[in-house]
Order: sequence, then C-alpha cells, then structure tokens
Amino acid sequence: MNITKTLGGTSLTLALEGRLDTTSSPQLETLLATELDGVTSLVFDFANLDYLSSAGLRVLLSAQKRMSRQGTMKLRNVNATVKEVFDITGFTEFLTIE
Amino acid sequence: MKRRWFIAIAALILYVAMLLATWDVSTQRADRQTQSMLDYAMLDLDSTLNGSIDTMLMHVGESIVKDLGQVGPHSVEEMQGIAEQYDVDEINLVDRTGRNLASTDARLPETNFNDKPRSKEFMILTEGKRLALSQPFRPGAHNPDVHRKYVGVAFPNGAGLVQVGIDETRLVQKFPAIMGFIFDAWLLGEHGFFLCADLEDGHLISNPARHRDEATNLAETGYNPNSPFVKEDAKTTFRQCLFGEICDCRAVIFCGHRIIAALPPAEYYTTRTLYTLVMAVVLAFVLGLFVMLFWRIDNDAARIQAFYAAEAEKAAVELELGRTIQMSVLPTDFPDNEHFRIAASMTPAREVGGDFYDFFALDETHQAFLVADVSGKGITGALYMMNARTLIKDMLLAEPTFNPATALTQVNAELCRNNPAEMFITAWVGVLDLENGRIAFANAGHNPPLRLRNKELPEWLRERSGCPLACFEKVNYRLFETALAAGEMLFLYTDGVTEAMDPEGNLYGEGRLATTLVGAVSGEPDAVTPSGLDQAVRASVRLFADDAPQADDLTVLAIQYLGAVERYMRTFSCNDKAVSSTAEYLTAMLEKCNCSEMERSQLLIALDEVVSNVVRCSNASGIALEVRFSRAPRGVTVSVSDDGKPFNPLYVPEPDTKVPLEERTPGGLGILLLRKTMDDLNYRYAHGCNILSFRKNFA
Repeated sequence: MNITKTLGGTSLTLALEGRLDTTSSPQLETLLATELDGVTSLVFDFANLDYLSSAGLRVLLSAQKRMSRQGTMKLRNVNATVKEVFDITGFTEFLTIE
Repeated sequence: MKRRWFIAIAALILYVAMLLATWDVSTQRADRQTQSMLDYAMLDLDSTLNGSIDTMLMHVGESIVKDLGQVGPHSVEEMQGIAEQYDVDEINLVDRTGRNLASTDARLPETNFNDKPRSKEFMILTEGKRLALSQPFRPGAHNPDVHRKYVGVAFPNGAGLVQVGIDETRLVQKFPAIMGFIFDAWLLGEHGFFLCADLEDGHLISNPARHRDEATNLAETGYNPNSPFVKEDAKTTFRQCLFGEICDCRAVIFCGHRIIAALPPAEYYTTRTLYTLVMAVVLAFVLGLFVMLFWRIDNDAARIQAFYAAEAEKAAVELELGRTIQMSVLPTDFPDNEHFRIAASMTPAREVGGDFYDFFALDETHQAFLVADVSGKGITGALYMMNARTLIKDMLLAEPTFNPATALTQVNAELCRNNPAEMFITAWVGVLDLENGRIAFANAGHNPPLRLRNKELPEWLRERSGCPLACFEKVNYRLFETALAAGEMLFLYTDGVTEAMDPEGNLYGEGRLATTLVGAVSGEPDAVTPSGLDQAVRASVRLFADDAPQADDLTVLAIQYLGAVERYMRTFSCNDKAVSSTAEYLTAMLEKCNCSEMERSQLLIALDEVVSNVVRCSNASGIALEVRFSRAPRGVTVSVSDDGKPFNPLYVPEPDTKVPLEERTPGGLGILLLRKTMDDLNYRYAHGCNILSFRKNFA
C-alpha cells in the first residue's frame, strides 16, 4: 500500500492506494502515531483504495477516537466496496464520509 | 340395532295376530258349544213334551182299563161319558183279535184294528210283552185337519187294549196346565232359559226364574217372530235380544204354543275370554323369551362385528404406522451445490407399497443415489425396508471403491440371512463421480432408468446386474457404468409410475414416461431441473390415472450432473507472510473467472480475515488454500485449512455495531464481514485440521 501525505498547517491529508488489510494496516498505524500531533483536520482520500479489512477498520477506529478529541476527521472518495464494509460494521454512524 | 327392533315389532305383530286367531277360534268354539247345547235342548224339549203327553194319556188309559175292569162291549154313550170324564176325544176298546168292542165313535165298532196299519201297531199290546204304546200326532182318518194322537194301554194278560186318542186342539187348552211348570224349572246351560207363549195372543205360560216378573207377554221379552232371521223350525239358530240380553235362540211351534230356547252366548264367551287370556300370557312368555334370545344373539353378533372392526382398524393403524416409518426415513433435504442437483419424491398408495429412495455423499467426490421397492407392507415391510436402506448405505460406505455391485452382493447376503416373511426388494443403486460425471451402477431387478440429454431422445439403461435382493443367497451382482455430461440427467422410478392405471385399467407404461420426459427436457437447458422432472412426471401420471385409485407407491428420483468442478490448491507456511501470499494466490486465481470488482474485493477481505486469524491465533504450522469454481450456480468456494488448535471462529459473538464511538472495539468485525458478504460460510474440524470455507456466488 502506498500512502501519500499532504500536510498544510494543522490539516493533514492522507491518500491511500491499494489494500488496507492485515498486511498494510500496521504501516498506517505507525504513520498516524507519529503524524497526528497538532493536527486538527485529518482527511483520508480513498480514491485509490481497493478495499479494507477489519485490520484497517481497527486503525480507522483508533484514528477517529483520537481526532474526535483534537479536531475533525473526514473520508473522501469512498468506493462501494469500502462503503459496504462501513455499513456492515456500523462505522457509517461515526465516520464523516464526504 | 335396527334388526333387533324389527324382530321385536314382528314378534309383537305375531303376538297380536295369534291372540286374534285364538279369540276367533274360541268364538267359533263357543258358538259351536252354543249350537250343540241348543241341539241338545231341542231334542230334550221334543222328548219331554211328547213324553209328558204320552205319560198323561197313559195314565188316562190305565185309569180307563181299571174302570172298565174287563174286555167287553160298551155302548157309544157310555164310552163318550168316559171320554168326557177324562177330557179326551176318542176311546176304543179292542179285544185280543183286534175287534173293536166299544168306541166313542159310533162308526167304529165291529171294525178290526188289524185292518189299518196305524191301528194295527197297537195289537202288539195283546202279546203280553208291552203294557203301553204311544203314537205321535197325525192327521185324523176321517178329518185330516184334525191332528190326533193315540196311546194304547193293555189289559192284563193281553186280553185286549184301550186306545185313547186326543186332538191337538184339546191339548192346546190343556198345555199350560200340563207343561207350564216344566219350562219354569228347566235349565239350559247356566244362564239359558225357555220361553213358552201362546201362539195366538203371545201370553207367556212360562217365565224363566231369572226374569220372573219382567214380562207376561212374549212381546215384552223383546222377541220378534216377524224378524227375517227368525225361523221357528227347531233347527235354525237365530239371535234375538231377550230381556235386554243377546241370546242364541231356537224356536218351535208345538201344540199351539211357541216354545223358545234361549242361550246367552256370553256364557260361552266367558270361556273364550279366559282362554284368550291364558293364551296371551303363554304367548307373551314364549315370544318374549324368543325376542330376548334373539336380542342376546344379535348383541353377541354386534360384539363380534365390533371385534372384527377393531381388528381391521388395528390393521389399518399398523399399515399407517408402517407408512409413517417409511415416509420418515426418506431424505427431504436436497443438497444444492455446484456438483449436482437432485430431486426425489414418493407418493404413497393407500394399501400396497414399500418404495423408498435415498441419496448420500460417500466422500467429497462421490454421491450415491438409489430407488428401491420392498415387496412387503405394514410394520414388517417398513422395518425390512429400513433394514435394507441402512444395509445399502453401510455397505456402500464400507466399500473402498464405492462399487455398488459389490455392496449389493453383500446386502443381498445379509438380507437373505434373516427373511422369515419372504420379502424381496428391487433396487437400482448408482454412484456419481462428481469429478467426471461417471456413474457406476448396479441393478437388482429394478425398472430401467432413463438417461436424459437436452433435446435428445431419452436412453433406457436396461442393463440388469441380477435378481431382486433377498431372493437367493448367492448372487453376485455385476457392475455397469455410464456417464453424464454436464447438464444431463438420470431419471429413476419405481413400477408405481409405469404400472399406474387409468379408470379403464390401461397402464401408464414406459412409452408415456419417455414422452413425458422428452417434453420436460425440451425447454431451455438451464431451466431443466430434477425437481421440474419430478413434478412433470407426477403431474402426468396423476392426469393419466384420473380418479382411478393409486395401486402402488409412486417414486421418482432425478439427478443432474452439473459438470466437473475446477479445483486449485496450494499450501503455505503459517507465518507473517501467509496473509499476503494467500491473498496473492487468490487474486491470481480470480483472474481466471469473470467476477466483479466488488466480488473480488469481498473475497479478498474474507480471505484476509480468515488467514490473519489463523496466523494470529491457531499456532498452526501450515495453511492449505483450496479454490473451487462451479458453473451452476456460478461462483467460487474458498477453503482455508490449518493444522492448528481446533477453533471455530463462527462461534465468536457478533459485535454490537450500534454503540457509540468511545465504546467501540475492533473485535469480531472480521467474522461479521464474512457473514454479511459471503453466500455460504462453513466450519468443520476433520483429520486434525480446521477447515473454514466460504462461498461467493457470482452475479
């Protein structure tokens, strides 16, 4: 999986490409652990994300919990497969999907 | 019950009829008794009346003999004087030779009694044997209008005789005095009586004791001599109401008097009533006994009938029970998978039957199917059927190559060992190889199945490997083989189909079956299914049979081969790389088929969840991945096996997806995704491996 970072002030945009699964989610987790300090607006661009598994959900859940405390988190360009996963797991309830 | 009342009513009618007959016979008998009583009375009357007159005249004669003293001539005047004294009309004195010595009639002396027959009769008195002789009233010799009666009395030693004559007219005057008392004292039966009345004025000279002061004239008694029924000839009985009582009467005119003998028939009718009463009691007893006896017998008969009805019911219950057992063992859960489709049905007949069908997997690539017909019925038949069914299944499973012929040989030997009811079973057993569509089969005397190809004529598989099961102990069944191409079907049935009859008794037959099947497979190839075939054949048979009762069980089984399955398999080491390497493998596999992006992603997510779970938790050394593609329905089945500790991830509880963000945990989401996105999810533990498979059908 490739992750493209775009940092502008306190706003961070992460463009994910490929699969957010068991193999790749630790990569995102590590990234978030170091990059989120001082960020008030986190945006995920899923335009090139094929799909995500429960491992990816776990990372997103933890990111959402943190961003709820220090700012906002948004998801953009979510495809149908990913949207379905969010729907099934009830993540649609608390994620902000644009 | 109806019969009993019928008999009771019949007995009652008989009872009444017999009583009426008894009454009638008694009446006739009473009438006869009355008649004979009256006959006797009239005879008695006649002799008494004549006897009384005779006696009176004899007394006169004796007195005259005494007065005259001896036989000798006397003047006419002297004789007339004597006649006047004794109030008679004629006296003649005759000597031993019949010469009339003295007479009240001047013309008679010097005539001889021997000259005339009537007078000659008296000459017997001169023979000294008889003392007196009486003659009835007869018309007089000189004047026929005058009825005169003569009595002769002999002189001692037959020296002569005195003949005294009296005219009826004179007697009429004397009659009341002589006779009146007789009638008063004369009894006729117990209640009968005599009436004697003057012929001219009807004055009663007698009056029966019972009606002493009720009448002085005959008219007052109620007697009507002018009635057309009355015949006063002493012989005819007629009815008159006398003193207010119906009486059987006889009447006679005698000496200027009307003498009536009257007998109230009620007297004899008393006997009649008594007789009928006795008869009533006796008949009631006899008929009552008869009716009671019949009721008892009928009751017993009813009980026997009830007993047999109960027995028949028991037999029906047994039949029903056998039927229930038979139906309960038939599999109704038809597997729906990528290898084959199967449908079967058994329509039981009311009486005979013992059909069954069966199908079961022998291993992952071999499917057994069969139809059979047991010759017995009821519980015995059903149990024998169950036994046979279990044996066939056991023998097939135990047979290393799944050879149905060998299995049948063993089943037959086993069935023959214990078959006291001498039942037998026809069976057709096939084993379908799911990898290539080949069917190994053996036929124990069963109807030939049909192989059906789309839009082609059906082909009968007439190979027969041996006689029915349980007939002969040592039978080696032969093995045959055929093959089904993808989409082709095999149709099995029992004789209940071909031997179904219409109301005229025509058989359904193999020809109609073939025609029906051709019709059924002529549609779109994909639309032709075993269950469609099953329904088509059953509908056709039902239409043919119309209202005719179903004589035998009707069983059909259709199996369709869906074609060989593509299987791919690879094993992986169970380490951190396993998740990505299995995902790569599946991705490569999915290139082979035409599936959507989303279907592909869902399969990969599922695989990710399963494999990551295995790597994380199972402590396994290796992972095997099997990918199977199927055509009908189009889809893929992925199986993940691992040799780790037994763990069924499907037992993991579903997470609550409604709780707020802060409380959400990531656990269980993987299985949830599997459940929601896959069409089938299955876990089993076999041969020391966890095997989790998930299937996705392609749109």
